[in-house]
Amino acid sequence: MTTASRPAPPPIRTHKDGRNWVGKSIRRLEDPKFLRGRGGYIGDMTLPGMLHVAVLSSPYAHARITGINTDAALAAPGVHAVITGAQAAELTDPLPDFGPNPAAHTWRCLAVEKVRYVGEGVAVVVADSRYLAEDALALIDVEYEPLPPVVDPERALDEGAPLVHEDLGSNCAYERTFQFGEVDRDFADADVVITDRLRWRRSGGQPLETVGAIADFEVATGQLTVHTNSLSFTSYLFMVAGTLKIPANKLDIRPMPAGGSFGSKLFATKPAVIAAMCSRAVGRPVVYLEDRIDNISNCDHHGSDRVYDVQLALMRDGTMRSIKIDTVDDYGAYIQFGVGHHGNALAQVVGPYRIASVEYRVRAALTNKNQQGAYRGFGSEVNNWMLEQMVDKAARELGLDPVEIRRHNFIRDFPYFIPTGNVYDSGDYDGVLDKALKLAEYDHWRAEQVKAREEGRYIGIGLITAQERSVFSATEFWFWFDTPGAPVTSMPESVTLKVDATGGITATLYSCAFWGNSPETMVAQLVAEEFDCDPHDVSIVYQGSKNGLPATGPGGSRTTVMLAGAVEGATAKIKAKARRATGYMLEANPDDLEWVDGGYQVKGSPEARKTLAEIAVMLHLFKHSFPEDMESGLEESKVFDHPYTTMPSADRKDLGVFYPFMGHACHVPVIEVDIETGQVSFLSYAAVHDCGTLVNPRSLAGHIVGGTAQGIGTALYEEFVYDEEGQLLTSSYLDYLIPTAIEVPELKIGHHETPSPWTPHGIKGGGEGGRMMAPAAINVAVNDALAPLGVRLTELPMTPDRILAAIRAARESR
Amino acid sequence: MKPPPFRYAAPTSVEEVLDLLAANADAEPRVLAGGQSLVPLMNFRLAQPGFLVDLRLVEALTTLRTERDVLVIGAMVRQSAVERSPEVALAAPLLVEALGYVAHPPIRNSGTVGGSLAHADPSAELPAVALALDAELLTAGPSGTRTIPAAEFFRGPFTTALEPGEILTEVRIPRREGVGGYAFVEFARTHGNFALVGVAAVIEMEKDIVTGASITLSGVASTPVRAAAAERALAGTSADAATIEVAVDAAADELSPAGDLHGSTATRTDIARSCLRGGIQLALSRAQDRR
Amino acid sequence: MDKYDITLIVNGRSSTVSVEPRKLLVDVLREDLGLKGTHIGCEHGVCGTCTVLLKGRSIRSCITFAVQADGAEIRTVEGLANGADLHPLQDEFWTKQGLQCGYCTPGMLMRACEIIEQNPDPSPEQVREGIASNLCRCTGYQFIIEAVCAAAGRMRGEEQRPDQATMPTEAKA
Ligand SMILES: Cc1cc2nc3c(=O)[nH]c(=O)nc-3n(C[C@H](O)[C@H](O)[C@H](O)COP(=O)(O)OP(=O)(O)OC[C@H]3O[C@@H](n4cnc5c(N)ncnc54)[C@H](O)[C@@H]3O)c2cc1C
Ligand code: FES
Ligand code: FES
Repeated sequence: MTTASRPAPPPIRTHKDGRNWVGKSIRRLEDPKFLRGRGGYIGDMTLPGMLHVAVLSSPYAHARITGINTDAALAAPGVHAVITGAQAAELTDPLPDFGPNPAAHTWRCLAVEKVRYVGEGVAVVVADSRYLAEDALALIDVEYEPLPPVVDPERALDEGAPLVHEDLGSNCAYERTFQFGEVDRDFADADVVITDRLRWRRSGGQPLETVGAIADFEVATGQLTVHTNSLSFTSYLFMVAGTLKIPANKLDIRPMPAGGSFGSKLFATKPAVIAAMCSRAVGRPVVYLEDRIDNISNCDHHGSDRVYDVQLALMRDGTMRSIKIDTVDDYGAYIQFGVGHHGNALAQVVGPYRIASVEYRVRAALTNKNQQGAYRGFGSEVNNWMLEQMVDKAARELGLDPVEIRRHNFIRDFPYFIPTGNVYDSGDYDGVLDKALKLAEYDHWRAEQVKAREEGRYIGIGLITAQERSVFSATEFWFWFDTPGAPVTSMPESVTLKVDATGGITATLYSCAFWGNSPETMVAQLVAEEFDCDPHDVSIVYQGSKNGLPATGPGGSRTTVMLAGAVEGATAKIKAKARRATGYMLEANPDDLEWVDGGYQVKGSPEARKTLAEIAVMLHLFKHSFPEDMESGLEESKVFDHPYTTMPSADRKDLGVFYPFMGHACHVPVIEVDIETGQVSFLSYAAVHDCGTLVNPRSLAGHIVGGTAQGIGTALYEEFVYDEEGQLLTSSYLDYLIPTAIEVPELKIGHHETPSPWTPHGIKGGGEGGRMMAPAAINVAVNDALAPLGVRLTELPMTPDRILAAIRAARESR
Repeated sequence: MKPPPFRYAAPTSVEEVLDLLAANADAEPRVLAGGQSLVPLMNFRLAQPGFLVDLRLVEALTTLRTERDVLVIGAMVRQSAVERSPEVALAAPLLVEALGYVAHPPIRNSGTVGGSLAHADPSAELPAVALALDAELLTAGPSGTRTIPAAEFFRGPFTTALEPGEILTEVRIPRREGVGGYAFVEFARTHGNFALVGVAAVIEMEKDIVTGASITLSGVASTPVRAAAAERALAGTSADAATIEVAVDAAADELSPAGDLHGSTATRTDIARSCLRGGIQLALSRAQDRR
Repeated sequence: MDKYDITLIVNGRSSTVSVEPRKLLVDVLREDLGLKGTHIGCEHGVCGTCTVLLKGRSIRSCITFAVQADGAEIRTVEGLANGADLHPLQDEFWTKQGLQCGYCTPGMLMRACEIIEQNPDPSPEQVREGIASNLCRCTGYQFIIEAVCAAAGRMRGEEQRPDQATMPTEAKA
């Protein structure tokens, strides 16, 4: 092994019992303003003199731009500026891009010589209103010379395929085969090898609010202020400043609440760059807020789009030995995050199973489509689906029970290093499975299934057990290459806690925007736990990038764990100071004091006591009562670095620890397929999740249901369909089908709590789990239903068209 | 996604509507009913009429009444009003059942019966219902009024027998209180969305024998179509399970729906079979219950 | 283009505004009347984010021209609460966590208002079918349905407000 020099894990924590606030389903602090329609989203903000941008988008998948005439548009009423791609390329540098070799597939805010997908921006209009801006778009005359498009990812890799980026010389942006462990030996030892070819087609987050930015460039000072609902702004700030060719310290990015993200507002830098470019050009505040067409066709955030060829090696008794995964991922026209999505997959590539070795080949294909970005799961949900289809197929072919084959292979000793080098901190997969079987009434439904089959009905039960990684470290963005792009990255989050003179507590969050998660509620519950106050009395401030502390921003289910660490750290500092101050106030030795119910008191004599408010007022107003080295006030910050991340080995046979806090879930949907229409309907759906210690169980349950609803979309309804010419056929919600309340069943939710040994309170992240499980579970369920017909679906979404085609094919082959 | 500019008027009489349409003929005028089809098209800038004549203040188009043997529904009656009308429930329960599948209640609160018929979406429910119920459509235009049978009104996708400058004023549906059974059955991928296939069926029986069947489909051709083969197959039989299968097959054999991203020709035909079977069975069982 | 003077009676207050006929009702509410609670999601009638009540009935304000609403009574989310007191629907959405990002919430609340006004005692299935007119991308609908049923119960006078000890009120913050 090449992992010999792995650093020691962080110390094991002991978690306190009898928590007061962590674990309570309190009402969320965030909600009252939203309930009153006073959310203050980006679309709700107007600055004096603000102008509106609309983007002209390409009607072609692939074409050379041979001419643009903007004269008529410039002369249209209310128009202040028209900027073409060529002009934009002078005003701005390429957009932030983590892809391999970005210079060979340059990504800009507007297309320059060539358009590479339907919807790519070609020019922008700045006008008095969005109405007038759209009127002027129609007056821009663009001449295109259509080029042959490349749409299928495998054809894109063929010799002689039309090139999306000539500079790259091929459409393969990345290719590598990794081997973790003794793959050849394990395959040779295995009794059977199950193979399959699987296809996961692209869907996307599609939050109901689109992405937008308001930019206000102050000519006099060179200061640029950007208000945006795009997340992770402290991470991308300096890169956006680079794109705009301004000093980073002249850019202030201020977060706005986001009306949903699901990944799709992470690093959404293009709207901010467009708004800023336009504001600088016209000298006034400018808003660019995508409309739904922009957001569907030009959002840079379509989800994974993969073809898999997989081989799973097992013993006849179901013991899994090794897996070979070969995947082509259709990234679209650009590749902003590189193949980080596959890092996510590799964090939990073997699922909850003891699989000793893994071969992973990934090829990133570029095609004439909107590029991939982030969607809840970031590529790990696809791996879950792939692995569970393989396990399910293995059980069927080996004649094993689907529950038992899983149980037989479960990991039970923690911490557990998987072949890729990542660690699973803790887990109780049997406990989750047992709970799920009970909650789902599994045996009852198996009996129902037998009866239904006799009546000619097709009921299927989909049982899957899979992982939910949390708290990423950025190594997964660069371990793809032999020379590290960086040493191990810390990815911190920060919190400042301030106790005012009355004892009231304000928490300041950095790079932490709201997007439907509950950062305020989480932090308030954590603060209340530490200070024994009412969480609804805690005040929360979201800090913009100016005066911000180091922070990364949400993503990879990291927020709650990282904020918990920061709150814990800041609390410790505050309490240390308060303890010392109390010592002086009570003329007691600080070591003899204990924190009890919101104040410090002398151990054994509780009447000698000071509340936080009493301590705070002294520290704020009467500093001279304390020694020289104590400063006025009671305010402390903590920059909390990633608690456990390690370097990959030089040969990349071990990728190190990069996603250590491993959640787990078991989903059991029961479905019925109408074999005449291909309609899938739910009869029951149970889900048990283990995300470590719960902070607000109802919030987590809400995320599980919501994520599952999105997973149902991915499994059955949602797909961005491009035809052979690269035309996007699903450019409205009449064709891109988001599940309504009728398509989403009522879920039975169970929680299981296996604390992490390495995080405050034992919390693990849990925001993405529903969508990481549901597609796999529903696919297994559909195949279970249709097994008597000899039908097995291997492609998502399982539309009526695909289901009926498979049934017809099975009939014909009989 | 903002609509293009247009000139606008909201007159109160049919005559004024016709005059405005005539006077602005060169501006590609259109009438605006509920706007539930037209405004989305304008937001996408797929429709760019230069003049809109809003029908909402034209009292004459809002009638909803029963005459001796017909139910009369003014073009501007909102779909949700029809749905809630006890008169319609008696005279044309098929229409009420079908309306339950048209979009969502908030859209039916604005959308009109006339708008749906005049829009002539091949997937829409109401045109298939109008055809199944042998409705007549009354129009008013520069050269007077016309009465057009539903079978002649729908000419192609989004195309009707209406001439430029002519509007639909009302639809007249023969009353069928207490006669036979009816059913509307459809398959849509998500709730409230346009259906892939819809089936409207009306079946009359006497002493266990089918004496009349009117069955139409939406979504399988450029206009709603009559499943004449199925009607013939059922007529004069007791409509047992085997006969229903013969009827379904006969109707399906005549179909060749165009494929699209939601379903190939084969898929749509499969689904049409299912809807036909479901529609016929439900209408039959209601006809039998009636006796 | 010519502008038209129209009068909208929004949440009981009458306002006259001068608008281009093409201006969508949602934009007039948000921009001309400053009522930002009605949101825009798709602008083609599918998502229901823009739902308001027009003459007591839910409509999509993104596919309605403001001129079509001339003279009409309109209710928006801003009219739900009575000062510091949340409407039972708002209160139950809060308690049951019937919202996450809050973007669909105003439209959902207005649609729920209509559902309860039409049927004060809806079953969970009826609520599910009723709110299927509106998309929510966050919640998976389950807690919205629970909230609407609980609010309907309270409005019928059958159920009490939730336990105030674990559910501190808004005013307290
Ligand atoms: C999200 C969504 C889902 C939908 N789903 C369905 C569905 O499942 N099934 C379905 O059938 N419909 C559906 N619709 C369309 C809806 O039913 C419309 O209400 C209906 O098709 C048009 O009615 P309207 O009154 O709104 O007409 P408008 O949109 O005002 O007009 C439609 C067209 O008809 C013309 N027109 C209207 N009235 C007349 C008249 N009296 N004389 C001459 N021409 C006239 C107009 O000029 C325009 O061209 C849906 C709409 C939306 C937004
Ligand atoms: S914004 Fe009006 S329905 Fe989507
Ligand atoms: S709460 Fe976010 S869309 Fe409903």
